[in-house]
Amino acid sequence: MSGIEEIERRARAIAERALEAIAAADDEEALGRLRVEFLGSKSELMRIPKAFAGLAAEERPAAGRAFNRARSAIEEALARRAEELRRARLADLGASEAIDVTFPGRPPQVGRLHVLTRIQREVETVMERMGYHVEDGPEVETDWYNFEALNLPRGHAARDMQDTFFFNETEDLLLRTHTSPMQIRSMERLRRPPIFVIVPGRTYRRDATDASHLAQFMQVEALAVDEGLTVGDLKGTILYFAQSLWGAERRIRIRPSFFPYTEPSFEFDLSCGVCGGVGCRACGGDGWLEVGGCGMVHPNVLRNGGIDPDRYTGFAWGFGIERIAMLRHDVDDLRLFYENDLRFLEQL
Amino acid sequence: MRVSFEWLCDLAGVHDLAPDQVAEALTLAGFSVEEVRPVDLSGILVGRVLEQQPHPSSRTPLWIHRVDLGDHTRTIVAGASNATPGSLVPVALPGTRVPGGTLVRDGKIAGVPAQGMLCAEDELLISDDHSAIMLLDEGHPGQRLEELLPSDAWLEVEVTPNRPDCLGHLGLARELAAALGRELDRPFMPPFTGGVEPPGTDLVTVEIEAVDLCRRYIGAPISGVRVGPSPRWLRRRLYAAGVRPINNVVDVTNYVALEYGQPLHAFDLARIAGRTIVVRRARPGETLRCLDGETRRLSPDMLVIADAERAVAIAGVIGGEESGVTERTTDVLLEAANFDGVGVRAVSRTLRLRTEASSRFEKGLSPELALAGARRAAALLAQVAGGRVHVNWVDAYPRPQEPVRVRLRPEQVDALLGVHVPLQEMEDILRRLAFQVRVGEDGYWDVLPPVFRLDVRLPADVVEEVGRIYGYDRVPPTLPGGRRTSWLPAAPSRDRRLDPLRHALAGAGYTEVVTPAMVSAALLERLGLADRVMRVINPISDEQDAMRTALLPSLLQVAVLNRNRGRASVAVFEVARAYLALPGPPRQPEEPLRLGVLRTGLSGPEEGRAAFLELKGALERALDAIGPVQVDYERAHAVGYHPGRCARVRVCGRPLGVVGELHPETMACFDLGGRAVALEIDLEPVLAMDLRRRARPLPRFPAVERDLAVVVDEAVEAAALEATIRSAGGALLESARAYDEYRGAQVPGGRKSVTFTMVFRSPERTLTDAEVNALVERIRSALAGEHGAAFRA
Ligand SMILES: [Zn+2]
Repeated sequence: MSGIEEIERRARAIAERALEAIAAADDEEALGRLRVEFLGSKSELMRIPKAFAGLAAEERPAAGRAFNRARSAIEEALARRAEELRRARLADLGASEAIDVTFPGRPPQVGRLHVLTRIQREVETVMERMGYHVEDGPEVETDWYNFEALNLPRGHAARDMQDTFFFNETEDLLLRTHTSPMQIRSMERLRRPPIFVIVPGRTYRRDATDASHLAQFMQVEALAVDEGLTVGDLKGTILYFAQSLWGAERRIRIRPSFFPYTEPSFEFDLSCGVCGGVGCRACGGDGWLEVGGCGMVHPNVLRNGGIDPDRYTGFAWGFGIERIAMLRHDVDDLRLFYENDLRFLEQL
Repeated sequence: MRVSFEWLCDLAGVHDLAPDQVAEALTLAGFSVEEVRPVDLSGILVGRVLEQQPHPSSRTPLWIHRVDLGDHTRTIVAGASNATPGSLVPVALPGTRVPGGTLVRDGKIAGVPAQGMLCAEDELLISDDHSAIMLLDEGHPGQRLEELLPSDAWLEVEVTPNRPDCLGHLGLARELAAALGRELDRPFMPPFTGGVEPPGTDLVTVEIEAVDLCRRYIGAPISGVRVGPSPRWLRRRLYAAGVRPINNVVDVTNYVALEYGQPLHAFDLARIAGRTIVVRRARPGETLRCLDGETRRLSPDMLVIADAERAVAIAGVIGGEESGVTERTTDVLLEAANFDGVGVRAVSRTLRLRTEASSRFEKGLSPELALAGARRAAALLAQVAGGRVHVNWVDAYPRPQEPVRVRLRPEQVDALLGVHVPLQEMEDILRRLAFQVRVGEDGYWDVLPPVFRLDVRLPADVVEEVGRIYGYDRVPPTLPGGRRTSWLPAAPSRDRRLDPLRHALAGAGYTEVVTPAMVSAALLERLGLADRVMRVINPISDEQDAMRTALLPSLLQVAVLNRNRGRASVAVFEVARAYLALPGPPRQPEEPLRLGVLRTGLSGPEEGRAAFLELKGALERALDAIGPVQVDYERAHAVGYHPGRCARVRVCGRPLGVVGELHPETMACFDLGGRAVALEIDLEPVLAMDLRRRARPLPRFPAVERDLAVVVDEAVEAAALEATIRSAGGALLESARAYDEYRGAQVPGGRKSVTFTMVFRSPERTLTDAEVNALVERIRSALAGEHGAAFRA
């Protein structure tokens, strides 16, 4: 090897060869090999600087420039070619890595919450938004809380409306027939109105089981006690509740009825969602669906709860959680909720 | 109560409304109309049976009739045999839909032409009798039945127990008129129409011994009665209200009961010994043969009507057969009485006999109603049976009903309803409902309810009267509001706090179930879970006669149901209460809130072990979802669980339940195949723990991870090894957890290899290899010393 010309010529020749090979490389692996071949520490190009020692001092800068020119030409060519190949690969991605996107997904094995839990929570959420809070109490109750304190003395014919399971012959220990005992317990616990509570829970009636009757079921009961509460407030509360749960176009009506623990007492109905209240088969023709019972808390009940009925009034309303679930999900048989056929639960 | 539309509207003076409109008005006034059934008899004709022959070939007994319909005759086949030649019968021709719903077709029955139908009473909605063809006692062939029996409609009205005064057409008519804003032009108390002087001054004597159970007893002797069929108008109304006519005397008592709601009874006076009535408690051992043909044993807690010798009726429930009215009766003793509702209800329940009379009395009637009923019945008996009513009937009424006066300010009505009801309207409403209103100068009203309304005592009761007639649809909906000076801070409910646990379990593949809390006591006993069980004394079935003491049996029943319907494995959980009796006299039990989880359909011991570990993992995830609690386990034995595969679950050191594989016997008890894992823990103690999550500073230096395979005897448990590792590792050991268990070629028999992953970290610096090696060495020697451990590379 001799002289600057020779070095410049060699560098140019290497670069030319390299560029040609790079242009011919058709995948990134080949490019990697070419990088080693032309720029690796053992490459021909990298041997060139070893010859600088034999050059005159004033020739060395030119030799260095020739070397650098060749090296950067190769590097640029490698980078350019790599970019070209990457673009080509990405352009082809849709074909090269295509999968059958219509192939069924593989869902993870998950369970779900029971529909009654979810409905209960939804009911609670609506009521909590109105300032109510959830109270919870015993299911095995005493005669006092379940009947006597609610204006249902022994021998009262209205007790026949609530056939009862008892634990003893004196019939003073029983399964609560409604969530209403919690009216008294809540008043006793909270003492000072305003009292705005909601009581979801299991209740029991000694009824034969069929598609529309269960011996064990769930109720929700709301109780409001404050100064100046009116039937209008009861109506408004139920309307807000019904529209929150079923939609703003729904209406409610209250019909006079009788419960010993409220005065006046009502049944409340929801306008049929199928016909909008005109009457159809879903609602039995009169446009209304029965939902639950309600009324202004009877003065005796307030008194039994330790609340002064001359100062405060209250209203209470309740319904079956299953009833809400039936209306919501087109379920026609109450028993399905407690049977727990997973095929049923997985639908809802 | 079944109400005749015609009767109701006649009393209410309503002639311009259709049955549906009347039903709507009643419903909105508080008398829910469950059903409106038009009884359209316009298509039915009267026919006369000419011939009747048994069907020659039919296997079921059938009868072939030739029926004269005036202008022609037809052949009609029927299943009942009572339409003998000469009978007048209702006939529906082909194409007619009878009120009961059947469409009559022209066809053949077993080869014989069937050109119409002979109607039974149920088909005409006259009664529910389907046993025989209805026989008419008047009419001529071809006549339209409607001329004899006008079309009507009946309404099934639900009368709430507080309104026994509306268990009669008159009471409902008053409500209907009031709801429609009309006047009822009929006074509650009919005039007295008796007039015959008694031959002796003491025609009958009445003595009320049990004044606590009988508030009033009117005994009206009516003589010269001719017992026979009632006139058609009367029978028609009885039919329409669902009552079968019997004879004019009995019919009148039933008619008045249906009109006023006051039960009445008629005795044959000739059979009342000593012409004496004693209202007393039954004597021990006394029996009575009742009108329904049954002989009943009476007991001293039952009130009876007796003559001088023996009981002749069970007060308010049923009359005696011997003293009843027959065709030969000439003198009648009409009873109009008032019996204590609670007493009648108790007797009716004891005898398991609920009659029209008892179901009215048990709701508590006004004693004033007795007089109205007696007068009305006496007048009717005179009219339809020719009876002579005596002036001096006996009216034993020791404690007359106290008048009720409700004092209220009319503003109270507005205040409770939330709407302004004009004073005049309020007064009109009350007057139409037969209340008297006295407007005082002090702004108070004295409201006097009518004597038959025992349910009105308080101002709120009066508000209800105004409200339901005024119309609750006119009350604007509002929401409670205003300034409050006291409140409760918001806190999520217990149930809502458990929702993250539910969601975590659902995410882990378990479906929430809700199962009945009443289960079979026998099942609990079989499973050894009957300790502390609460038993119901009046169950409907022995499938549900006790409160569950554990959730596991219910979950297993869910598995059984699903297995029977084709799903061999389930993964389910429930959050619900168990009920645990407390010692001593019966009292409210503990009702601990529990979590139960069950997974079935596992096969083989290895799958059982894997499922067990997965279940533990799911439990830890679920508990962690409600709070950062520490969960550990120790070997345990529990009822129903596998003796070698059961652990006590401890949460932050408190034993709260068990987890494990189920005992094969438990599975056999439910006829379930395969293996199952389950757990049941108390949740309330968890909710009471400190569940706040606290952030800690993030580590600033890297961790060093080392695995260690520890070979120990089979009996040494992972928890013990972990404890040793932790104490030997000291503060620089961040965590240690067993992740693999191995038995086989590389481990001597009777021993196993347990691999731990250990993480070391210092909060102050990066640990060197040498430091970690020293710690691992310390751990190894502790394991070797305490557990005889060897180590695998
Ligand atoms: Zn509808």
